Amino acid sequence: MMDAISISKARLRFGQTIALDDVSLAIPQGTCFGIVGESGSGKTTLMRAILGLQKLDQGDVCILGMPLSHSRAALKKRARVLQPIFQDPAASLSPRSRIRTLMGEVATVLNEPLAVTYERLGVILNRLGLPKGILDKYPHEISGGQARRVAIARALLMKPSILIADEPTAGLDVSVQGDLLNLLQDIRQLENMTLVVISHNLAVVRLIAENAVVMRAGKAVESGDVASMFQSPRDAYTRELLSAWPRLRVE
Amino acid sequence: MAISVRNLSVDYNLSHVTAHALRDISLEIGKGEILGLVGESGSGKSTVAFALMGLLANNAKVTSGTATIGGRSYDLTRRDATAPLRGRGMAMIFQDPMLSLNPVFTVGTQLCEVLRRRLPGGDRKAHVAMAEEALAKVKLSDPKRRMGQYPHELSGGMRQRVVIAMALLSEPVLLIADEPTTALDVTVEAQIMREIVSLRDRIGCAVLLITHSLGLVTEYCDRISVLYAGERLEHGTVKQVQQQPGHPYTRMLFDCEVAIDRQRAVNVTENRFTVIPGELPDPFRRPSGCIFNGRCDVSFDACATTVPDEFAVGDAADHGARCLLLAGS
Amino acid sequence: MGSFATLKRICSERDGRLGLVFTLVILIFAIVGPLVSPDPNLIDVKARFAPPGAAHLLGTDNLGRDLVARTSAGTRYALALAAMIVVISSVVGSLIGVVAAVAGPRIDRVITGVFDIVNAFPPLILAFALIALYGKGPITFVLLVTVVFIPQFGRMARARAQSLRSLSFIEAERMLAVHPATIVARHYLPNVAGPIIVLASMNLPVVIAFEASLSFLGFGVQPPKSSLGTLIKDGFVSINQSWWPIIAASLVLAIATLGATLLGEALRRVIDPKTTGAR
Repeated sequence: MMDAISISKARLRFGQTIALDDVSLAIPQGTCFGIVGESGSGKTTLMRAILGLQKLDQGDVCILGMPLSHSRAALKKRARVLQPIFQDPAASLSPRSRIRTLMGEVATVLNEPLAVTYERLGVILNRLGLPKGILDKYPHEISGGQARRVAIARALLMKPSILIADEPTAGLDVSVQGDLLNLLQDIRQLENMTLVVISHNLAVVRLIAENAVVMRAGKAVESGDVASMFQSPRDAYTRELLSAWPRLRVE
Repeated sequence: MAISVRNLSVDYNLSHVTAHALRDISLEIGKGEILGLVGESGSGKSTVAFALMGLLANNAKVTSGTATIGGRSYDLTRRDATAPLRGRGMAMIFQDPMLSLNPVFTVGTQLCEVLRRRLPGGDRKAHVAMAEEALAKVKLSDPKRRMGQYPHELSGGMRQRVVIAMALLSEPVLLIADEPTTALDVTVEAQIMREIVSLRDRIGCAVLLITHSLGLVTEYCDRISVLYAGERLEHGTVKQVQQQPGHPYTRMLFDCEVAIDRQRAVNVTENRFTVIPGELPDPFRRPSGCIFNGRCDVSFDACATTVPDEFAVGDAADHGARCLLLAGS
Repeated sequence: MGSFATLKRICSERDGRLGLVFTLVILIFAIVGPLVSPDPNLIDVKARFAPPGAAHLLGTDNLGRDLVARTSAGTRYALALAAMIVVISSVVGSLIGVVAAVAGPRIDRVITGVFDIVNAFPPLILAFALIALYGKGPITFVLLVTVVFIPQFGRMARARAQSLRSLSFIEAERMLAVHPATIVARHYLPNVAGPIIVLASMNLPVVIAFEASLSFLGFGVQPPKSSLGTLIKDGFVSINQSWWPIIAASLVLAIATLGATLLGEALRRVIDPKTTGAR
């Protein structure tokens, strides 16, 4: 089967700093893939390259076998396949538009009758536990948790086959982060999607992802299936990351 | 006890309403002990630090509370009650080190300023030597060169080391660390926590570590206090609380923590994350009864009406929790 | 923020209240003036240089024309021109500015280049040149001052739009493949509007003074119509006979510009608290 996302020999420099250094990876369809790294490791740059928000100096990104292009036609095609969930979902909703307007934009993009889009939206809102009344509100009038769900609902409305979540647990308390992670897992299973999770949280990635890559200073230092990578890390940096992670020790 | 805080209550006055940020919080920290003050957002954990340092916002008011620090008692309801302790006796490490560092002065100047305040009339050369030594102690590479550098030339982890060096030089009785590693990477976090522990070992001060991370508390702290919606629900040694949590909230919070060694199940549906359902209570109108009632998985009728007192958990005298389930035992 | 809340916060500080009062006084003067005074062009040679009195509240000029009527007409003219110019230049300017920020480096360079060229000339000199080319008249005047003011709005809109471009909500729209024109109209423009409104209100007095200067120099309104600039100039010419005329018009100009400036500053503090202190 064709890979959902494949990256070959991606290189990128910002002035003196090397953001991506010969990164190659393949994300199989229908799996959950983790991109792990600390700040400055290049994991966010990698995500932006996949989304087409960042051009590479060298190397290729293919989405479902199609090479990534920056033309408008390609962007329109890609939007139906690949949707991001940004780190601060509240900030990914345009502050001066009602949520109904934002959802309506999807109908225009998909060239779909508004009624059909709203019908699908009703199902999605229901599944995400959002009240219908939320559509008449502005993003600043809803809670952070709701904004997160609205952003996810909007991404799902595009019927993508690949979801990319950037630091989904950043800024969330442990008592609520699981809610979002469980939701993402459910969606992935139900829709048989490919889920890419970018995170610095090793414990979360270990549990949610089948395969992962560990990034450091623009390099992919280790990649493979999560179970064996966490059990017997081959790279020294992966070992350091794992040993630095605070443990709940019970003597 | 080297440090104690009694019945600290803080209100925030918003234009029409009053939010009770803290209600009757008490803390004890022994000399040379690290107390982990754990809470999620909205628990008021940072308000404790700000109330102690006298750094509360203008619309905040301490309605009750006394602190005993270094053998002297301070009435926290008075503005600037602890002002004499700032810079000598009490030091603070913030999440953002730039709150403690002045961007227009070199690291050396700022470290010497700490010494000038603590040891007035001292020799400048001696101060410079002491400052360099402090930088070496917090394992900052090349201390001589760092002395002449400005904060913006350093990385986040290095800045936090400089702040720890400042704390080291001021030789406080109480060190308050408010989420000191939240903005840092895990590998740097471990290093910074080790520096805080070694600072404690060196000068034997009491440390109040304010954090949302149970991992940090279990790894580095001696004692733990659990805060929820402005109330202390449980306190004890880390070992006691971890082995036998007295309050359901503590137990549920530990359950939510994703352990790094948790194996991924082959059956995908089993890889669930634990959640505490429900939301924080309204900060403007405290519900009657237990503050955690409504999100609790073992609550019963009385929980909605009776505010629980603190009960001892097990036989230990220094392990208590405010849960009605403990009343009978 | 609702407009009522904005008004309330403007009134909560002294400068804002003063600005509001001054602006209201000028507006009322402009509106009520013609109701309480004779035709501004009515010549009464017998009453030349009459001092303020019951018949003429602000006295008369060298042709015996009532100064309340003339100043009020001048004020109305100045306010109407200023409002028109500021509205057109802010709308056109923000559109051009946002396009410059969004449409890619080549178009950006062309637009900022044109802005630089316009800004390279001192406004008055540019105005003289354009008037020499296109002749005097209110329409030329509006067009030329609009052109002079567009770069200011354009630059501010461009800077704001550039900082918006990397924000998640704009990137989310792009990832959704929403049409670029929709993104500009629905997501950029409303979010650059705040500082643009502030800049517009602060430019209002500048335009009023600019119009007065041009008229004073004889390039603006032509006699017998009155404008604040021509009134000051006429008063200046006949200052040896009577010092009333120049006082009336100058006072109105001072109150109008001061009021609009204070109001603009207060508006900026309310709408755009982050930029307080920097222009």
